[in-house]
This record gives sequence, structure tokens and C-alpha cells, in this order.
Amino acid sequence: MSIMEYNGSAVVAMVGKNCVAIATDKRLGQRALTVDMGFEKVAPVTDNIYIGLAGLATDVMTLHDRFRMRVNLYKHREERTIEPKTFSNMVSHMLYERRFGPYFVEPVIAGLEKNGQPFICSMDLIGCINYADDFVVAGTAADNLFGMCESLWEPDLGPEELFETVSQAMLNAVDRDSMSGWGAVVHILTPDGVITRELKGRMD
Amino acid sequence: MDFAMQTQLGPQQEPISAHGHSHWNPYANTNGTSLAIAGDDFVLVASDTRQSDGYSINTRYDSKAFELSNSSVLAISICSADGKRLYEVLEQRAQVYYHKHDKHIGTQALAQLLSNTLYGRRMFPYYVFPILAGIGSDGRGVAYSYDALGNMKDVTHIAYGSASALVQPFLDNQVGHLNQRGADLDARLDREQARKVAIDAFTGATERDIYTGDWLEIYIVDANGVHKEVRELKHD
Repeated sequence: MSIMEYNGSAVVAMVGKNCVAIATDKRLGQRALTVDMGFEKVAPVTDNIYIGLAGLATDVMTLHDRFRMRVNLYKHREERTIEPKTFSNMVSHMLYERRFGPYFVEPVIAGLEKNGQPFICSMDLIGCINYADDFVVAGTAADNLFGMCESLWEPDLGPEELFETVSQAMLNAVDRDSMSGWGAVVHILTPDGVITRELKGRMD
Repeated sequence: MDFAMQTQLGPQQEPISAHGHSHWNPYANTNGTSLAIAGDDFVLVASDTRQSDGYSINTRYDSKAFELSNSSVLAISICSADGKRLYEVLEQRAQVYYHKHDKHIGTQALAQLLSNTLYGRRMFPYYVFPILAGIGSDGRGVAYSYDALGNMKDVTHIAYGSASALVQPFLDNQVGHLNQRGADLDARLDREQARKVAIDAFTGATERDIYTGDWLEIYIVDANGVHKEVRELKHD
């Protein structure tokens, strides 16, 4: 089994009309054994940027801490909050620094630019950025999420419609993946704030 | 003799064994995707037509679904050579049945025959995950899904092949009504709904799966017989 599949994960981000959504499952496993059903894989970076990390859980935790430190330092030096695109380049750089001994993670970033423009991107474990204008997926349920998103997503979904779309994509994708699921959390980022909701799904 | 079924998805080289020699693989993965949706009085089968060999395309039009003489449809996946042979074997057995009993074999009997045929090759399997669809003795649309060794299941919706991971959750949601509050889990789709779901599933799969695309064959089987439709998919 690949090291990227050891803990199990499902992460997705979608673009809507002046909003973005990011959702993850909550399972933490050790191969077939489920150890935690409340493992947070997505964290706020700023009020307008959320980052979700799929992959090896220890690297997920370490990188969340490292991003927090780097973003705080950025704020001190620049005297302003970091923008999504800049942050994604920072993440890419941090991952490529470890080119020959990488962090086993696949980040998914969702945010709103200064002008309100939605922003999403994903990366591989060595920092190759994939900018998308529709959706990005990562984790053991990535294929399942691709199939769901490709058929369910359409452009210009409002915050409530986007929530329904990303929730259905997440719930049905993880139900076909033994390594992810056990609950899910969805964050909708809008210019007026973040709406966070827990999803009720199969706990198996 | 030990023929191992390779389950690799990508067009990589065969893994070198401990001796440093690569071992000949009797199976060729020709990829592509098939699905089936069962309705109240019909069943729909859809398969793409692209046949691949690694990163290369062998042909853009090679059918993966076949009509059997008793008005059932067999859809194959993974190894098209084994799939075609399986179809021939099944069709010949169906014709023998017809000559012996002076009536066409029913779909349920044919389904069991397929299961037995697959298990008969337990030690050198047909590398196919077939779907058999037809009208049951009760007049209801029925779809059977199998693994390569003959384990069979009566299903309302199933997807096999290279994009199965992409398509199956979508079918669970749209045909099985899973994760939808207040939905009637036993309700079946009508012909037009099933056709739309199948087309959407394949356009989505074609986008994200390199092995799926070119053309789509849709079979609808009901009491009146078998109706076939061919649609174009993206060629890239």
C-alpha cells in the first residue's frame, strides 16, 4: 500500500459565484483500522484562505503548523495579510524544498482574492500547482470525487447551491472509498464570512 | 503454470521479477468503461468504444456491448479479447439451448450460465468484469454484475472499467438516490432519465479518464426488443 493511502482522506474545493467551497472527510485510519472520526484536515490560513491537506496525517499536522508560522511571519514582514495566490506559491516552494524527501501530502487551497474573485488550486506532493476554474480534488477518494464533481458541478452556483453540490459530491464519493468518510465538514467562503457545516453521512 | 492477473492501472512497464527478467503477461488491458441501469420495464446498457494499449489508442470504435439472441445485452470491460470470447461462448450456449428446448433462454438462466462459465475458468480466468442486462421473467428490467470469477449480483445500477471509480458514485446518487433526504430508495428511473444519467456519466468520465471517450453505444432493452443508439464523445 502506498504511503499516501496509509491514513485515508478525501478533499475537494469548488468555485461558485463570488464564493468558494472546501470540504474534507474526517477519518483518520491506520490502514484498515479507523483511529479517529474527528480528524481535521482543513484549516483556516487567513479569513479568506482555507487549506485542506490529503495524505499522510503526520505531514498534514506538521505542515498546518509550518504554514501558520510562515503566514504569521509574512504578516509581520509585509504588514498585510497574505493573498491566496501568493500563499499557494509559498506552499509550492515549501514542498519543492523537500524534492528528494517530500512531505506525503496533496494540498487543496480555496480562497477569495482581495477583489472578491474566487481562487482554488491543488498541488502534488512536490508542489506542482494546478490552477482550476471549476474544482480540484485530492486523497484516496480522488477518482470518485472527480466523477462526482465532473457531473454535478456547473458554473455560477450561489453559496447555498454550492454547498449542496459539494456535499453530494463528497458524501457519494467517500461512500465508495473504504479509506475515507466517517463524517465530513464543509466550509463555504463568501465575502461576508465563512459558513461551516458538518455533514451527516454514513459512518463506516 | 501461474498466470497472475495484473491489476495495474497505468501504462507502466511490467515489474521486473527477482531474477531480473520480465515475465510474459497473458492479459492485455484494453480499458474503456461500461455501465447498466435497470428500470421498471426496461434496462439500459452503455459502453464507450475506445480500445487502448497503454498510452496508445488501438481503435476509436470497438464495441464493448453485444446483443445476445435472447434479447439480452452483455457488456464487457478490461480485457476485450477475453470479453469477446466470453460473448461467443455465451451466444453459442444460448443457441444450443434454443435448439434443445425450442425457446429462447431466459435472462435469469443466462445469468447463472455466465456465472458458471466464468468460474469454470477459475484457474486461468476471463479477465472481464461483465454486465448482463435483460428483461426478467416478471417483466422487470434486470442487470447482473459479475467479477472475473463469476460472483454475481442483481443490481439496479453498476459501472465497470477504467472510469468505474468516477461513474459508480454518480450512479449511487442519481439512480440509487443515496445521500438524498426524503428520496424513495426503491423508485426506478424512466427511460429518458436513465438515458440522461448515462450520457452525463460518460461525458464526465470522458473528461477525466484518458481511456474513456470517442463514441458511446447505448442499448435499451425492453419487451419490444433491443434498441441501440450511438453518440459521439470527445476524441481527445
